[in-house]
Amino acid sequence: MMPLILADPGEEAIIRKVGGSPEMKKHLEDMGFTVGGAVTVMNTIGGNLIVKIKESRVAISREMASKIMV
Amino acid sequence: MDKQLRIALAGNPNSGKTTLFNKLTGSNQFVGNWPGVTVEKKEGRLIVDKEVILTDLPGIYSLSPYTLEEVVARNYLIEEKPDAILNIVDATNLERNLYLTTQLTELGIPVVIALNMMDLVKKAGDIVNVKELSRQLGCKIVEISALKGDGVNDAAKAAIEAAKNGRTIPQHSFSGPVEHALAHIEEVTVHNLPEERQRWYAIKLFERDEKVVESLKLSDDVKAHIERDIQAAEKELDDDAESIITNERYIYIGNMLKGIYKKKGKGQLSASDKIDRIVTNRILALPIFVLVMWLVYALSMGTSISDGGISIGTFLTDWTNDVLGGAWLTDGSRAILEGWNVAPWLVGLISDGILAGVGAVLGFVPQMLVLFLMLCLLEDCGYMARIAFIMDRIFRRFGLSGKSFIPMLVGTGCGVPGVMATRTIENERDRRMTIMTTTFIPCGAKMPIIGLIAGALFGGSTWVATSAYFIGVAAIVLSGIMLKKTRAFAGDPAPFVMELPAYHLPAWGNVLRGTWERGWSFIKRAGTVIVVSSIVIWFLTSFGSVNGRFGMVDDLYEDDSVVTEEYVAVVADRMGIPEDEVEPMDDSLLARIAQPVSVVFKPLGFGDWKPTAATVTGLVAKEEVVANFGIMYAYDDNDGEEELEENGDQIWDRVAEDFNAFSGGHGKLAAFAFMIFNLLCAPCFAAIGAIKREMNSAKWTWFAIGYQCGFAWVTAFIVWQLGRVFAGGMNVVGLVIALVMLAALLWQLFKPYKEAQKLTVK
Repeated sequence: MMPLILADPGEEAIIRKVGGSPEMKKHLEDMGFTVGGAVTVMNTIGGNLIVKIKESRVAISREMASKIMV
Repeated sequence: MDKQLRIALAGNPNSGKTTLFNKLTGSNQFVGNWPGVTVEKKEGRLIVDKEVILTDLPGIYSLSPYTLEEVVARNYLIEEKPDAILNIVDATNLERNLYLTTQLTELGIPVVIALNMMDLVKKAGDIVNVKELSRQLGCKIVEISALKGDGVNDAAKAAIEAAKNGRTIPQHSFSGPVEHALAHIEEVTVHNLPEERQRWYAIKLFERDEKVVESLKLSDDVKAHIERDIQAAEKELDDDAESIITNERYIYIGNMLKGIYKKKGKGQLSASDKIDRIVTNRILALPIFVLVMWLVYALSMGTSISDGGISIGTFLTDWTNDVLGGAWLTDGSRAILEGWNVAPWLVGLISDGILAGVGAVLGFVPQMLVLFLMLCLLEDCGYMARIAFIMDRIFRRFGLSGKSFIPMLVGTGCGVPGVMATRTIENERDRRMTIMTTTFIPCGAKMPIIGLIAGALFGGSTWVATSAYFIGVAAIVLSGIMLKKTRAFAGDPAPFVMELPAYHLPAWGNVLRGTWERGWSFIKRAGTVIVVSSIVIWFLTSFGSVNGRFGMVDDLYEDDSVVTEEYVAVVADRMGIPEDEVEPMDDSLLARIAQPVSVVFKPLGFGDWKPTAATVTGLVAKEEVVANFGIMYAYDDNDGEEELEENGDQIWDRVAEDFNAFSGGHGKLAAFAFMIFNLLCAPCFAAIGAIKREMNSAKWTWFAIGYQCGFAWVTAFIVWQLGRVFAGGMNVVGLVIALVMLAALLWQLFKPYKEAQKLTVK
């Protein structure tokens, strides 16, 4: 397991764990970051990420991405 | 029909909801606010049936209680109980969109799905078995293209039909342990509620949703009872209750779609991804962003096309100011009114007071409309979301969000729409911070102040204007850093997570409608405040009490029996000026008010009644600052505004002379302190009104105004006191206080900062 920020761009990864405060966790899960789901890092800029989750592109800050383990 | 039908339009952000709403209601829309919050509420009458009201719910991903939009949407669905829900679902992103659908179907309200963007799905060669999807979800599905307008009326008719006699029963189920707990919860808590809503309440109780627990007023006994059920399920499934529900919903949808949705291509980069490769590229992102912003600025507010620039906005604004506002409205109305033999004071009120004020606002409208048009274009094509993403890293450092950039850009034109633009910032803390700091950026109306000071005391040096922008930006950065360390702003961090919609060509209908909505609300808001305050200012400068008689000061000063020599001596003494310089203005209500207030500005170097009066009237509208200088320094001519423009040098000399006189020879420094204070202090009434609306709280409005004035005062104080150390004539006490203030600012800037960990919605 490693945080999403370390995942290779362009490679599909499977989410193992979603951490953070209950609110943050719920919000991420609502947006589709659920355990077992696939996620792909599309792009990084200054530590922030653009990831592909389900069929959408989501921009996510470094702080939040470090709470998602793949 | 005896009962008016109400249908709610619900869906994910970026699912085409706004487009569909516009297509369904046309021009029959009313925009307001959801009660108690600053989330915009739109309602409209359906084109296919004018008796039916369609309510546009905020774009949401879920009915959880964590964001303002979600709370607003679900409160409406639960408490107002619309007759049906029209759920727009983006067919290109079925899984995530249906996650909300599974929640909507639990509410006991008939649901009809408008399956949007099916044309794109078909074009990509993917297949969706709509019939089977409809059967599995238990609700009717209508295929539409919101953009092209295909099928939208069929969707509306289906929703009306469902509202009249439809019923939606949730088809999905959770795993054994969860269903077991849900059955228990239903039995002990909500069996007295209507049957069709029991399930939703039970699920929410299972998720320990605080707002629902609160609203049901359960006894501690019952709470403990259901807590045992929840914990049993949590233990068995080894996760917290909320996550269990979320995961199981997604698993259910995933399984359901296996037989329904067949994707042709996999793992290919879409066109949108390819654009993002360049536009959000690590190296290219910032240059591209700067270029785009430069274009937006140059087209709307830059150099006019008549002066060799590319700005259409400035060209139209110049025309509005010179021809429409100046010649037609002010002079034209004066000629007409004088032709009708209207009393001179009334002519003054209407022409110089109201119409000149309205003209000043109208002047901004073209620039603002061009700016709004550009911003709507950027928003509609999908670039706006990327701006927030690109700027977030930078803005986050001083406590603002990436979305704070747009309000500040708009603020360079006018603070009112700038403050209004903060609406797109969901996080309350970030929004408040942005509202408080946006008006530090010099707006269009502050430019003449800068021009006056630069011209009168600095020989027209361009560094004055440059420094004004620099001071504005510095004030935002410093305020951001300092405020986020205060307790009021320490809470609610806004971890950045935001969907980036796929790029697409702008839909002109949406863009033009958005431009007009923003423009009109600017005209309405700024216009009404300006009309009222123009009347007040006109009254304060025209009327006064002269030697015990109240009336128009100009008239009273014609009468030698009122204005005796002894009386002139009294006035001269009160205002601290020579007797031969006493003017009718010196007896106006404004002068009377400003004279005692000027004490406040003594430590800033401009404690004289004239700059004080200008500053105070600047609260009404920043244009008034320069207009007032014109009136106050144009001794021979009461119509100072014209005098200032046509014969500026003369007035500039007088201003310089006066500033040098009352500041003990440090005119430049005093003028600079004056400019700083006027740039940073509370904005005009129209912008204060906008702040109040967007803050939606009297307390926060006063805090914002207090902070802005306090920050302006302290900054100007430090500049004036420290400046005199170098310019000579230093005041030891003042210097010590200035140094203490500076130390306090630095301490607040550099003290360690801890981000709070709780994310709450009031």
